[in-house]
Parts: sequence; structure tokens; C-alpha cells
Amino acid sequence: MAANVKKTDYFPYLLLVPALIVTLLIVAWPVVETIRLSFTDASLKLTENYVGLENYEKMFARKFPETIFRTFYWMGVSVSLKMIIGIAGAALLNAAVPGRNLFRVLVMPPWIVPIAIGVFIWSWMYNGQFGMISGLLQRFGLIAEPMEFLAFRNSAFFSTIVTDVWIGTPLVTIYLLAAMQGVRPDLLEAAWVDGAGRFYRFRRITLPLIMPAVATMSLLSAIWTFNSFDIIWILTEGGPRDATTTMIIDTYKTAISRFKYGEGSARAVMIVLFLTLFAGFYFLMISRIAKKEVGND
Amino acid sequence: MAIFRESRMKLTPILLGGAMVLSGLGTAFGQETRVHFINCGDDQGGGNAVHTRLIAEWEAANPGYKVDREFVPWGQCQEKSTTLASAGDAPALAYMGSRTLKQLSANDLIVAIDMTDEEKATYADPVLGTITANGQVWGAPIAFSTKALYWNKDLFAEAGLDPESPPTTWDEWLAAATAINENTDANGMGIAAASFDNTMHQFMNYVYTNGGEVINSDGEIVFNSPNNVEALKMYAALAEVAQPGPIAYDRGKLRPLFIEGQIGMMISGPWERRLIGDVNWGVAPIPVGPQGGPGTLLITDSLAVFKGTGVEEQALSLTKWLTSPDNQLEFELASGLTPLRDLPGVQAIRDEDPTWNAFLDAIATGGPEPFVTDYVGLQDAINEAIQSVILGEASAEDAIADAADLLEDYK
Repeated sequence: MAANVKKTDYFPYLLLVPALIVTLLIVAWPVVETIRLSFTDASLKLTENYVGLENYEKMFARKFPETIFRTFYWMGVSVSLKMIIGIAGAALLNAAVPGRNLFRVLVMPPWIVPIAIGVFIWSWMYNGQFGMISGLLQRFGLIAEPMEFLAFRNSAFFSTIVTDVWIGTPLVTIYLLAAMQGVRPDLLEAAWVDGAGRFYRFRRITLPLIMPAVATMSLLSAIWTFNSFDIIWILTEGGPRDATTTMIIDTYKTAISRFKYGEGSARAVMIVLFLTLFAGFYFLMISRIAKKEVGND
Repeated sequence: MAIFRESRMKLTPILLGGAMVLSGLGTAFGQETRVHFINCGDDQGGGNAVHTRLIAEWEAANPGYKVDREFVPWGQCQEKSTTLASAGDAPALAYMGSRTLKQLSANDLIVAIDMTDEEKATYADPVLGTITANGQVWGAPIAFSTKALYWNKDLFAEAGLDPESPPTTWDEWLAAATAINENTDANGMGIAAASFDNTMHQFMNYVYTNGGEVINSDGEIVFNSPNNVEALKMYAALAEVAQPGPIAYDRGKLRPLFIEGQIGMMISGPWERRLIGDVNWGVAPIPVGPQGGPGTLLITDSLAVFKGTGVEEQALSLTKWLTSPDNQLEFELASGLTPLRDLPGVQAIRDEDPTWNAFLDAIATGGPEPFVTDYVGLQDAINEAIQSVILGEASAEDAIADAADLLEDYK
């Protein structure tokens, strides 16, 4: 009997230990420390006191619900535009047109250019006196005088979204293009033989087949956009009048600019909560897709 | 194996010898104690050459101490020093905006500078005001600026104004800006209202020329005053005849507009004189408001000495050496900065270049940056008030009252 009892093999677990230690040090410990700090009055002082939920109460008493709403609005509009333009762009790049490879290369620069440089270029374009956009609009008679896009709440809000879409769309496009190239050509050819038009084939064959990739990219894009800091910071620093202050900008201003580490940590905890929800959705979706694929096999 | 054992036997004395040599070197280096000095900006410019020489002289007079000067870009400089200090690894001394000194002292991160009455007397009172909190001096001023009104003489002439007569009162100022706006292709004024620190700085010039204050000498917030409401109304009135969309502009972005002849006037510091090129310009004191007198915002940067480094005494000694009257003036002249003290050498600068007068005359009646414990909070509150009025989303009265309420938490 004893010979039949398998001995537990600990060796694989041993191999995981270094990775586990690194993960604990660079992920778990900072998260735990952030949660701890969020219940303290940590600031520039070398000592800190426990303050219970005070930081959370202060946070919600001062415009934080507005900031949460603004963050989701900003993210929703930006991700939607990236996905729509990305799907359309991928479809165009997947079409059999001359010079297709050149177009595939040309779509990448916004993503390849260092973000700060790209955003500075946009900040010049948004300038009313010297910027290209205002100049063109004036030339075509659409506006009477120079328009400062970063000077007004609505225009600043949507200007930051346009820049974020410009930077984020190429990756979405290339990712979805790869998914489209995985669609079996015989399915499309069979539909073509049956008289299905180009748009019908795209809507009824290509789009459903790439839907797992669309969903995955939407979620990843939502997480990246939610955390987007540099674009807004360089263009507006969250202004005018907080019109572009998202949760990540608010957290930076509180914790780093104003050295209120306790209050900043409370904001960071909220971000972690939201991102955990996104990540939960993501893993749930991946697991469903995997199960579906196993079922299809 | 035998070869390995033999080579190991040879290696052992070599390693031991190496360790002894390294240990000896370490001891030799260890005799020099490091004095970590965080300096904002880069190591270029005439002023830094002066400091390099002065530091070498200080090291010669203080054997055993080695100054380790670290240059950090302006954008991260103060943040780096403050973060290091709050993490318990402070530099011995650092270049800081004087506005941060109260916050640093309130958090017990810096030591007071022991200044004698004689030393204090070398500074104008308003300059001392930029470094004094709770009766103690917390930094030694190292750089200084005042502001004045630049005007474009050609645009004044084109608008039918006397190009040699800059406005001296707010009424004249608004009238001149309106005339330029209506009679030329340019805008009358350059106004900064972006979410930046210098928006608040610009506004403080209006506050001080109209007899206003943010925080009084007793530490009370007195921002909600008729003087300041009037100042904000003036700021908004000038914004009406300024370049479109002032909220997209910080002060630095006004310079290209002035150089291109797109704005008739702007408020800025003495450095613009070197930068605005071929424009036919003049510079005059900031016009005076109906309830005030001549004024300007005085901004100083200081050397702050941090606590807990073990070399506080040496850092204080170095600070005093670098900022002593003669050494400081040599540094200022080499850097092109406004002189902090009214020394005999300053008169020579005035004689040589009379455009200095608008900046130097303002010192005696200037006001300091508000000295509070949460400077960024204060800056955001005042910028919010300015932007809300310029966007037409609040009255000046409400905006000032709201900001004053917020400021109570930051004093």
C-alpha cells in the first residue's frame, strides 16, 4: 500500500519561489503599504498617525465623485473612439489594396513616437495663435478668430481625448489586423460565392470571429486609458478648472505635488479597486473564451 | 583538481592583499565627509562658475569636508529634495523656492538660519518677509526677481497712444489695452491664466498694487477683501482685451506673442530684456490700483539646510559663505539676477542699464509670495478663482470668497 502513495514533488514550487518573492516585493508590498498609508495622516513629517477613515471622508467631501464620473466619461469616449477607428483601420489595412504594407507601416508612428514628444506637438497644434488646427479652421471660414483649444472646459476635455486616441489607436489597429488575418479565407469566399456583399461579410463573418480580440483589446485599452497620466498632465495639468482632472491626475496632485501621502494613498486605493474590477472582468472573459474554444474543438 | 587547488592558493593572497588595499583606500576616502548640495538647473552659466570657485575656497577652509554638488532639472528639483527629506535621506542643503520654507519648517525638516540683526539689515524688509515664519529665518536668499510692465512702443504709437508714456494707473492701463485692441491687429495685453504657478504670481502683482494681501503678518487669511475682488475684476477686464483663450497661457508663452507684436503689454521679470529681441520695447513699474500704491511680487529662492544629516553646522557655514553680500553680488552679476541687496555695486548696474530701475525700485514696496504650509493648495485655489471669473462661471466676489474659504486649510 505504502508504495502506491505518491510523494509530493516540491521541486516545481521551489522554482516558483524567486518569482513569488519578486512579486511580493514589487506588487504586494506596495499595495499593502498604500492601503496602510491611506488610514494615516502621512505627509512630509517623519512620523504618521492613524486617522481611520478621515482621508476617505475628505476625499468624497471634495469633488471626488465628480472626478470618478469624469474619469469614466473620459475613458469611455476615448476607448470607444479607439475601438471604432481601430476596427475600421484594421479592415482597411486588411483589404487587398496596392501599397498595403506601406500603409501598415505608416499607421504606427503615433505609437512609436515617444509620448511626451507627440503630446508637445499636439499642444502646439492646439495653440490659437500659432497652431495648425485653429489656422485651418480660420482659413476655411469655420471660426472667426483664433481658437485656444486648451482654454475652455469642453474643448480642453475633448482635445485631451483626441490626443489620447491618436496615440492609442495604432496598437488597437495592429492588434485587430492580426486577428482579422486569422479569419479563414474559405469562409469569406464561400459567403462571396453565395452573393454576400463586402459589408455583409464583414458584419456577419469577420466581426463575430474577431470579437474575442475586440473584447480583450477593449478591456486592456480601458485599463491603460484609465491610468493615462502623461497626456493630460503635459497638455492641461488637469485644468481648466479641473475639467481634465481624472483620478490619476488628482492622485498625483494630492500625493506628489502637495505631499499629502495619506490622502493620496486613499485615492490610489480607489484606483486599485477600479482596476481590480477591470482585471476581474478581463480574466473572466479570457476564461470564458478559452472554455468556448475548448468546446468548439 | 590539483591545478585548481594550486591556483586557488595563489589567488588567496592576491584577494587578501586587494581587500587590504581597498580597505585602506576606503579609510582614506572616509576621512572626507560628504556635504550633499542639491542645486536646481544645470552646471552651465557664469553664476555656477562663481559658485564652483567659492565652494573650492570653502572646502580649503574646512578640511575633511567635500561638497557634492548635484544638479537637478528645475522641474524635479524641489520635489526631489523634499521627497528625500521626507524619506529620511535629506541633502545637507538645497536650492528651494522660498515659498516652500514654511511647509518644510512646519514638518520639522529644515533648521532655522541664525541671522544676526546686522545680517538681516542687509536685506530689504519685504525680502526678509519671503524667508521669515514664526519669527525665525528658514532660508538664505540666493536668487531674486521682481516684475514690471513691458510695453510695445510701436503698437502704442499705432493705437494713437504716446509710445513714451506707459500707463501708471489701472484706468490708464485698461484704456491703453483697449485702444491697442481696437485700433491695431494686436491684442492689448498678454494675460496668463493657465493652471500653473505663475498664473497666481501674475495675479499677486494686481493684489499688491491694490493694497491687498493673502495672509497677514498674524498669519490670518485676509484674501476675501474688496481690494482683492477689485484686483480680480481688473484681471478679468484685461483678459477681455488680451490674447484669445488666456487659460491656455502661462507667463512663458506670452513672450513669443510679445516678440511677434501680437500683444501690446505683458508683466514679467528682468530676464525678458535679453530675450525679447528686436521689439521696440520699454519697461515700467506695474500700474497702481485705485486702493493701492506701487507694488510687485517679490520671489526669492533660498538655500535651505536640512535636519538630520549630521553636517548641519557645515551646511550652515557653506550657506552663509555663498550668500554673504560680496559673494552673492558676484554670483548675481554673473547670473543676470536681480540683486538682493542694495549694495554700492548695484548703483553701477542702474547707471549702466536704466531698465533695471523698474525692477529695483519696486523692491521696497513689494510683497512676498504668500507663506503657507500647503503652497500648491493655495496656488490651485487662487488659480481656480481666476479661471472661474475669466470663463464667466463665477463673479469676482464669489470666486474670492470661495478661494478664501479653501485657503483657511492651507495657512
